[in-house]
Amino acid sequence: MGKFTMGCFSSLVGSMSLDFAVKLSAAAIEKGHKVDFWVSGNGTMLSIKGQRAFKDYSALMKPVQELMGKGLTVTACEACAEARGYNKEVTMEGFKRHSMDWYLASAFDADRVLHIGGE
Amino acid sequence: MKLAVFVSDYRLNVDTLDRLNPSKLGIILVQNGVYHATVKENGASSSLLGKNADYYVLKDDLETRGLGSSDIISNIKIINYGDIVDLIFKEYEKTAWL
Repeated sequence: MGKFTMGCFSSLVGSMSLDFAVKLSAAAIEKGHKVDFWVSGNGTMLSIKGQRAFKDYSALMKPVQELMGKGLTVTACEACAEARGYNKEVTMEGFKRHSMDWYLASAFDADRVLHIGGE
Repeated sequence: MKLAVFVSDYRLNVDTLDRLNPSKLGIILVQNGVYHATVKENGASSSLLGKNADYYVLKDDLETRGLGSSDIISNIKIINYGDIVDLIFKEYEKTAWL
């Protein structure tokens, strides 16, 4: 099994890319891989607790929490989050916050990397 | 280098793909990129399908758009998320996202 690092710079609500990234993380974990998942830019919306799931919108908080329970490491760009007012107090439990150095270090150490750019 | 390229949009500049020269190229159609596998314009398939590559399309993204295997217009393999993980780890060394 390998280590898979994925970065996503896309927003949460209505974002096909973030939805894709979470589902791919789930598939990789299911196959026994270690997954590091980095969200940056508007993708940091994923880190906020108390997200409400609507029928016709991508609702990723619950799947992400379940994946964290299965070993997913998910980290938000701290500067991107703070710039949007997503401070530590509104961050869901278990969701890490670091500088981009964390993503670079994880990617450097990974067996495979997928970088999904912004929209 | 064995390269897997994710194509996530229908309207894109395929010149980017033309500049890539891997020893093995895989093109994975996801999100609105799945339309490359299903749409003909003026009777012609997407120019993206004319490359020396192995083609894949994500089943979930086809079905989300009301499409299926009968809509595929070329020799493209329909895959799921687990298959993508296997492609990334077993068939290709690097990935790119367009």
